[in-house]
Amino acid sequence: MRNLFNAYRVLAIVVGVLLAFCSLVALPLKYLAAEGGSLQQFGESASIMWAVHGWAFMIYFVVAFFLSRKAGWSVGFTIVALAAGLIPLLIFWVEHRVTQRMRVEHPELAAAA
Amino acid sequence: MPTLLAPRFWAIHLLALVLAATAVGLGVWQYDAWHARRAHEAADLTRLDPVPLDDVIGPDDPFPGTKIGQPVVVEGTWVPDGTVYVSGREHAGRAGYWVVTPLAIGSESDPAIPVVRGWVDDPADAPTAPTGRGALVGWLQPPQGTGETDPDPSDDVLPQLRIADVIQHVDQDLYGAYVVVADDVAPGAWPTGPTAVNDGTDGLAPATIEQLPDAGTFTAVRNLLYAVEWWFFGAFALFVWIRWMRDELELEETQPTPEDAPEPEPAGTTVEGQ
Repeated sequence: MRNLFNAYRVLAIVVGVLLAFCSLVALPLKYLAAEGGSLQQFGESASIMWAVHGWAFMIYFVVAFFLSRKAGWSVGFTIVALAAGLIPLLIFWVEHRVTQRMRVEHPELAAAA
Repeated sequence: MPTLLAPRFWAIHLLALVLAATAVGLGVWQYDAWHARRAHEAADLTRLDPVPLDDVIGPDDPFPGTKIGQPVVVEGTWVPDGTVYVSGREHAGRAGYWVVTPLAIGSESDPAIPVVRGWVDDPADAPTAPTGRGALVGWLQPPQGTGETDPDPSDDVLPQLRIADVIQHVDQDLYGAYVVVADDVAPGAWPTGPTAVNDGTDGLAPATIEQLPDAGTFTAVRNLLYAVEWWFFGAFALFVWIRWMRDELELEETQPTPEDAPEPEPAGTTVEGQ
């Protein structure tokens, strides 16, 4: 479970950063920056990161699902953890909650900080 | 197995099937969008502004691979004696012939480029080839040639538009390319349609372009990546569903029913009738 937990944390950060970049940087630039300007162009090209986020999310989803089964999370908490990969910034908080929870419920993982 | 068919599980089965079907459907939708956007871009490239032929290819140049389908303005002198017919060309589902006449870029003896003027049922019905000056917009195409040889080099029917075959019918050099008279050109002051000069298309059905330009490798790649992703989620939903059913069955087998519970079984004893 330790490997799964560590993989979960890394993926959560990766997905979170990608999603934050896409939704808070690329998206506003693409639609709000001056049409045809270099910032707008950058936003346009950076949109490919959505696909990267999608694939990272796919892996995150599977890992989070298996972790939830192993750690015995409730259905509600599992759904929040899975959906967090789609809502900007939420995942950082969820990752924090999951880490806290894992440390309490599975003290043997404490060393995995 | 009948346990899994119990009405209390129907909602779960339905949910699993709906999720999987939705994911597959969304994947198909993205996959179609990927195709459509690429086809659209390829068609757009054939409607770029035409450029003079010499800006794209010279008489001795190899075919510029990135210029397939590029509209070009060709201007010169027809070589009516070099007219050939390319067999096995389809138009509206019927097999027929391309009517091809070389156009010397400049005066009569300059290097020429074969021009596909149009399509006809039968070479006997083809109008006479144009003579004198001509100016038109055509789509640039690389010469054909998959090794099919001309079974009868003495007539003017060719199986393919191979430069090596066409050159037998003219006295000058040929470009390493041909053009198809364009019937859909970007707006502008080009010699096309009614403004084309002596383009020799009268009495012929328009020929369709053989090779569309390549859409960029990464055109709409996002749609393709999303399609794969959706299918993956669909497969994952099925996987979770199957695993859940397996777990339910195992639970059924290992857990004694409430009536049996009070009598603990000695280890290793199997329960009769289960």
